[in-house]
Amino acid sequence: MSTLLTHIAISDGKIKRSSLEVLSHCKQLAENNGHAAEAVIIDADASNYVDQVKSYGAEKIYTMEDPIFKNHMNTPLLKAFAKVMEEANPHVFAFASTESTKDILGALAANQDAAVLSDVSEFDLIDGGISAKRPVMAAKILSSTEAHDDQILVSVRSGSYDLVENETDAEVVNIDFSFDESELQATLREIIGASGDKIDLSEAETIVAAGRGAKDEEGQNLINELADVLGAGIGASRALTEAGIMDPSLQIGQTGKVVSPQLYIAIGISGAIQHVAGMANSKVIVAINKDPDAPIFEIADYGIVGDLYKVLPPFIEELKKIRN
Amino acid sequence: MEDETFDCIIVGAGVAGLAAAMTLARNNMKFLLIEKGEFAGAKNVSGGVLWGSDLAKLVPNYWEEEDAGWERFINHRRLTFMDDQSTFSVDFKSSHFNETPYTGVVVLRSKFDRWLAGKVEDAIAESDYPMDSFIATNIKVDEILMEDDKAVGIRTGEEEFHANSVIIAEGVNNLLTRQVGLQDDYVPADHVLTGIKEIIRYDQDQLEDRFQLNGLSGMSNEFIGYATDGVEGGGFLYTNRDTISIGLVLGLKDLREKKKSPHDILNHFKSHPVIQDTIKGGEVVEYSAHVVSSGDKRVMPKELYKDGVLLCGEAANLLMNAGKAIQGMDYAMRSGILAAETIVDAKEKDDYTSSTLKSYRKALDESYVMKDMNGFQDAVHMLHSPEMFKDVPNLICDFGKKFFSIKSEPTKKSRKLMAESIKEHSSYWDLIKIGLKGAKSL
Amino acid sequence: MKFYVCIKQVPDVNAPIQIKEGQLIQDTNRMILNAYDASAVEEALVLKEAHGGEVEVVSVGPDKVTETIRKALAMGADKAVHIQTSGDAEYDSATYATILAKFFEDKEYDVISCGKQSQDTDAGLAGSMLAEKLNLPYATNAVGLEMDSDKLVVKRQGDSGQEIIGLPSPCLVTCSNDMNDPRIPSLKGIMQSKRKPMETIELSSLGIDESELSPKTKVTGYQEKPGREPGQKFEGEPEEMAQQVAKLLDEEANVI
Ligand SMILES: Cc1cc2nc3c(=O)[nH]c(=O)nc-3n(C[C@H](O)[C@H](O)[C@H](O)COP(=O)(O)OP(=O)(O)OC[C@H]3O[C@@H](n4cnc5c(N)ncnc54)[C@H](O)[C@@H]3O)c2cc1C
Ligand SMILES: Cc1cc2nc3c(=O)[nH]c(=O)nc-3n(C[C@H](O)[C@H](O)[C@H](O)COP(=O)(O)OP(=O)(O)OC[C@H]3O[C@@H](n4cnc5c(N)ncnc54)[C@H](O)[C@@H]3O)c2cc1C
Ligand SMILES: Nc1ncnc2c1ncn2[C@@H]1O[C@H](COP(=O)(O)O)[C@@H](O)[C@H]1O
Repeated sequence: MSTLLTHIAISDGKIKRSSLEVLSHCKQLAENNGHAAEAVIIDADASNYVDQVKSYGAEKIYTMEDPIFKNHMNTPLLKAFAKVMEEANPHVFAFASTESTKDILGALAANQDAAVLSDVSEFDLIDGGISAKRPVMAAKILSSTEAHDDQILVSVRSGSYDLVENETDAEVVNIDFSFDESELQATLREIIGASGDKIDLSEAETIVAAGRGAKDEEGQNLINELADVLGAGIGASRALTEAGIMDPSLQIGQTGKVVSPQLYIAIGISGAIQHVAGMANSKVIVAINKDPDAPIFEIADYGIVGDLYKVLPPFIEELKKIRN
Repeated sequence: MEDETFDCIIVGAGVAGLAAAMTLARNNMKFLLIEKGEFAGAKNVSGGVLWGSDLAKLVPNYWEEEDAGWERFINHRRLTFMDDQSTFSVDFKSSHFNETPYTGVVVLRSKFDRWLAGKVEDAIAESDYPMDSFIATNIKVDEILMEDDKAVGIRTGEEEFHANSVIIAEGVNNLLTRQVGLQDDYVPADHVLTGIKEIIRYDQDQLEDRFQLNGLSGMSNEFIGYATDGVEGGGFLYTNRDTISIGLVLGLKDLREKKKSPHDILNHFKSHPVIQDTIKGGEVVEYSAHVVSSGDKRVMPKELYKDGVLLCGEAANLLMNAGKAIQGMDYAMRSGILAAETIVDAKEKDDYTSSTLKSYRKALDESYVMKDMNGFQDAVHMLHSPEMFKDVPNLICDFGKKFFSIKSEPTKKSRKLMAESIKEHSSYWDLIKIGLKGAKSL
Repeated sequence: MKFYVCIKQVPDVNAPIQIKEGQLIQDTNRMILNAYDASAVEEALVLKEAHGGEVEVVSVGPDKVTETIRKALAMGADKAVHIQTSGDAEYDSATYATILAKFFEDKEYDVISCGKQSQDTDAGLAGSMLAEKLNLPYATNAVGLEMDSDKLVVKRQGDSGQEIIGLPSPCLVTCSNDMNDPRIPSLKGIMQSKRKPMETIELSSLGIDESELSPKTKVTGYQEKPGREPGQKFEGEPEEMAQQVAKLLDEEANVI
């Protein structure tokens, strides 16, 4: 019997849903193959989250608490993860593919001389390792990949698996951690929080995404209004983040975030493959674009060919009506 | 490097520009080949059959290469007349065409141009100027620098580069040709055609079975009649490695007057019962459209040279479309070679003025290019005459229908059948006119 | 300031792709400079122009990568190293990181910059792997770089916001293409690139036996991404369309 360890990511005082998705999947794999599903929480107050993790089937939960984890810094995190791996000796160590994960995954693999597959959309156990599917070529294509090693790191795209509740009375093991600040070569000087929208796009049920077509103030207002009505998170194409009109953390696509909401409304977005790479897995896609030949219409369930300044006002009104 | 002057700057890395560049490199000239596309061929949607054997001059034994830039060699040709239901083809296939150097190879330009550019790079590396001759892509030439009506270099953005001569090989959309004053700004629409093309992919075995291809042998098929839905022009179908190129060349003016879109006409062509059978089961992987010159001499530039400048390829409107084939690439290739040879000559004489450069015109006139362009003008005009893309095909197909259908009644003599078809589709007089025209022109 | 920029040649995702027997076929076999690396080169050039120094690019791959290296030189990099592989095998990030680490072992530099990921595989691993192997402080997903006395100040895109991080040299940073718009080489740049020094290094001279490189991960095949069902498209009066679609979202898709 070997161990499938899942990292539980915490951001803004909440467990990231995507890491519970990963845990749910690992639990499944563990049950099907007679392995153990375990989880690890590394945070300034890790123990706060234990109970929630218990209800997703972890049989053992490691916690590691230290003030230094308040903010993301790769040096202490690496040290922490290395310690966890020695402690738990997982065959598979699974992560949600967040920016924080991306920051350390390669380094951790190098440090532990472990095999690693990043950003997979699904993975399974095979003997001596894991098999996985990875979107490649700007997510136009899926590659089938295998990793063979006794220790394998894997990071999973958000929305790849459903949450499966599964109450367990997990054993909780605290791994103590000490970090001497003087080891820090890199210094965190400042954190610029995402202005405005706090809804975590990778978890949002509904996303209203704006593109170059909606770059002026009036466009922005309409976007905000629509998002309010739907209680949606606001996303953007590169055209707007690049122009500094929208916060970079809102960019959706190959460079930006990968999202998979129930409803994605693309407004004034052409649908370049690099953007589509980040939102093609949305359940329902609505596109509003004045160019009938815009590629976005090829993937939209509901395509509205028209000027967003003319279409949005009545659209917002209609949705208001439906809402109440 | 600001003050370095080249023997020659070539504008445009299409067939003509690449042929010129290869010739200059082989003759140890110091030159610059400039292409606005991201790479040679990037902007070249066209492609089809490169006729003739000049390619073998530029790249000896190219056919021996593993993955050369060409698709297939032509040993099977077909000219097809269509009405709404039927096709009547003149079909010629011969193993004689299997021998190298081939007399025609099908190319896809994005691949072919890139491959040929690679060959030019090799030639540069072996020349006397491995470090001083260049192919520069993703650079657009904005202006030909003229000093008292002599070309002395080019300008791109803020940068200027000087050369003793400039070869303009910019293709059909010849803005620079006009800038240097070799062509009037206005070219009437009735002398311009538009070519559209779809690439359809098959499983390679399936393709080879369907078109009876053997190894790298290929087929070219031209179409006259229904294909163009009553618009002046013709259709074509070429076999590539595992795709076919199918498309049309259509008169712009006629399109406008008949208010038809090339794309619709292409679908009309593809929906013909016979064509449907021919192309079924493939997947369209590419669609492109591009202007083609009519090959009408009346729109050729006034001259092909002037102090420090030579024009070649389609920039000089060197193209022939006389029904049985489109010849643009081979004309481009030959004219590129001749232009470059003239520059080599000019360097020896150290005289880049018209008095030397005019020998380019002479060489071109003596080559098959101008001989054909002069000789087949009537054919060109005839191809653009309504009878040719309407009455004649209908008539021929109707005759075919009568001739090949076996009914349980006394069979008529074919002469009689012909007579009937002619009555239905045109008067004897028209036919005689076309007959005479045709006889004279082809 | 001595910059090393690791650049990778990748297939152009915009070129027609086809899958035959599970293998990827690039119709025109078009290869380009990884967009993220282009941003890394651009930023290194900007800092060099401001603070002086030298920008050297390094690429591991078969001979055809020299085409891509020339592109970086044409942009303005001063010199280049081509670490030669046979090109017979496709390697994973870890393998490239191993090769690069060997190369950097005995080199002097202030900053190594990488792209944050390869445009074709989106792996995003080699950068931090290299940092770990060389034991360098590093930051990934940089959207801005500045010099502040002896420190490299990195603005990186985190999950919810941006972090400003100070790195002492030597250090490693991986760059996002959100950092800048890479310059398009000028004709002069292209001409100069040909005359700039490009050193070719064989793996053996780094003490690496290519036949013994055995990646822990391998791609076993490719498949088309299952496409979405074609949806409904509306053209006409804004009010009507708005009404129709809102209704459908509510009653058909029920996502409101
Ligand atoms: C390596 C790489 C990574 C990239 N990563 C990303 C990424 O993560 N995310 C991303 O988004 N992009 C990314 N890009 C950029 C991407 O290629 C596109 O450039 C970008 O997505 C374009 O954004 P856009 O659709 O808003 O702008 P455009 O492509 O300019 O489209 C604007 C659209 O708005 C429409 N429009 C204009 N006015 C109106 C109106 N009044 N009403 C209705 N419609 C209107 C137009 O018809 C047009 O279709 C990446 C590129 C590269 C090379
Ligand atoms: C659909 C279609 C089918 C065809 N089929 C055939 C066929 O079967 N057989 C045949 O022989 N011919 C065919 N032709 C015609 C043939 O493609 C052309 O005659 C031929 O390409 C002309 O070659 P060229 O080198 O003169 O011009 P081009 O091939 O057009 O090359 C010109 C080059 O110059 C570049 N350029 C232009 N301006 C500038 C500038 N300012 N700065 C830098 N670069 C510049 C362009 O990007 C281009 O790469 C076809 C054409 C079309 C459209
Ligand atoms: N073969 C290579 N040669 C040079 N640099 C490379 C190579 N492979 C990866 N890199 C660097 O690593 C970055 C991304 O790594 P990855 O996404 O893991 O493939 C690239 O942007 C490069 O900076």
